[in-house]
Amino acid sequence: MAENLCIPKPARIVEVIEMTPIEKLFKLEFVNEEDAKAFTFKPGQFVEVSVFGVGEAPISICKSPTRPGPLELLVRRVGRVTSALHKLKPGDIIGIRGPLGNGFPMEKMKGYDILLIAGGLGMAPLRSVLQYAIDKRGEYGEAILLYGVRSYREALFKERVIELIEHPEQAKFKTFLSYERDDPVFDELRQKHHENVRKGVVTVLFECADPYIKPDKVCAVVCGPPIMYRFVLRELVKRRIPPERIYLTLERRMKCGVGKCGHCIVGGASSIKYICKDGPVFTYSDVLSIRGLV
Amino acid sequence: MSFLRYVKLLKGKFPEFFDALKKWGEIHAPVKRGKFYAFAKVDSPSEIVFEYNRTMIPPKKYFVKPFEEIMKVKIGKGYELIAEEPRKLVLLGLHACDINALRILDNVYLDEPQDPYYAARRANTIIIGISCEPDEHCFCKSMGADYAWTGFDLFLHDLGDSYIIRVGSSRGEALIEELSNIIVEPGQEDFIKLRDFELKRSRMFKKALNTSHLPDIVDSLYNSDLWVKFADKCLGCGSCNLVCPTCRCYDVTESVDLNLEEGVRARRWDSCFMRSHALVAGGLNFRPTRLDRFKHRYNCKSSVEPRTGLFFCVGCGRCSVFCPAGIDHVEVLNTIWGLT
Repeated sequence: MAENLCIPKPARIVEVIEMTPIEKLFKLEFVNEEDAKAFTFKPGQFVEVSVFGVGEAPISICKSPTRPGPLELLVRRVGRVTSALHKLKPGDIIGIRGPLGNGFPMEKMKGYDILLIAGGLGMAPLRSVLQYAIDKRGEYGEAILLYGVRSYREALFKERVIELIEHPEQAKFKTFLSYERDDPVFDELRQKHHENVRKGVVTVLFECADPYIKPDKVCAVVCGPPIMYRFVLRELVKRRIPPERIYLTLERRMKCGVGKCGHCIVGGASSIKYICKDGPVFTYSDVLSIRGLV
Repeated sequence: MSFLRYVKLLKGKFPEFFDALKKWGEIHAPVKRGKFYAFAKVDSPSEIVFEYNRTMIPPKKYFVKPFEEIMKVKIGKGYELIAEEPRKLVLLGLHACDINALRILDNVYLDEPQDPYYAARRANTIIIGISCEPDEHCFCKSMGADYAWTGFDLFLHDLGDSYIIRVGSSRGEALIEELSNIIVEPGQEDFIKLRDFELKRSRMFKKALNTSHLPDIVDSLYNSDLWVKFADKCLGCGSCNLVCPTCRCYDVTESVDLNLEEGVRARRWDSCFMRSHALVAGGLNFRPTRLDRFKHRYNCKSSVEPRTGLFFCVGCGRCSVFCPAGIDHVEVLNTIWGLT
């Protein structure tokens, strides 16, 4: 039995950063050294977070394995477990089970440009890919980030995003930002950097990013709310990026995370799949052959 | 594996066979409970009803309990598995469909990472099959689950005055070794009798489901209106999930003791007919309507478990028998096929 996949291991919260009114970034360290050693992960994998006496919730890992230091999880306060988690402070102990899921096939993506399309909280798992691609600069081509948010208030890592747009010469990747609601900070940014910042949903950014998207040498990586996939996929298909080079990471009610409890079963009768075990990362080819994926 | 030896046991010697099994552990076998049957502990052969059609609750209850505590929570410290004394069990009198269903569950629960509770219980349980005759609800033959090729230690074929026993494992072989004084070698006439029984049995099935490329039929007609009249009748109670020998979804809950220092994490059988089954935090539901949930179950049951090559439905007929709305699994799928 792969023990760390069945039993939550104690981890200490070392830092909590409030990102938005409903999202916090938790930095965690395993209490036991052997648990820390046994925990090696890939971008796009997730963990089951246990809050003692409350339960478990699946949360994607928000940093790259190339970065040393504590494990980082970006958590939106949205359900029972995440609400309890949001009440915790540095020093408190929680349980971590994982890493779970397949993660992004970073090996397969080698040599390609990486086009990241994140909507809202979709930034969390994509941050791990972005960090990975820029840390292994020589192995990947350009990295391009299209980030769509609803408003300034809800934007994640906003200081960093603004900095990257204002000082592109310092950045290791190209950043594009879209937002839906009027806001003085973003409006000003948009006026100054119209080539990088647009108003609307994330798909409006394709117009800005198109000069940098080379369909024959790019891998697209998409994460966002379920509604976003349909529109983003349409844009990617229009640009003739092959379905097997379009990656998506999906969410379901994953209780066990190891392909047993049955909550995340998808697909037609000829091809049932577990999102937790066979995913959460799928390609657009999978989407075409597995019913109910997006 | 080179097992599958045949031996013969005269029915007069059955009590001795029963006593030998007792040495392994508790014997659980089909008994009558009101109008229905159940697997329960038996102390003597006379309590067993071998001529049963189906138990209400399938044998999965011995391996994944309807409700069980799986971890102790020490608040602020960590989680630990709950130590369980492995109970030695003999499940005596399983039908071929239920044995095949266990093979399917094995491929889920024993797949890495193994479920520690399931694995320990399975390792400590002897499975003994019994031949059966179909009633009007059985359609295991359609599902290819009417015969157990593997997945048992011993399988008893009732030939009237004796049993022909198929030996399916090394553990079964060891049991038979111990019984060398009461078993005999079967002769050609016994195998002729066995063949004739199987031939007669295979002609007794009244219910048939067209399973040829069933997954593709369900897939391609997933959005058809044919499902609606059945889904409208469905009460969404989840009884079909509880009585299904291959339904394996479970929910996990956690609770704290009054001392606020400890608690337990438990799991219980879940049902894909519950609205909560595909609901994610934030309120989005991937199967928001009863029709979605109804089709989801048929989709799951019509798919094929890749390693056994068996459908996730073994044709035991329980879901049809115990559906309070009278929905018949075979009728639904044959309607999709355009056969009714």
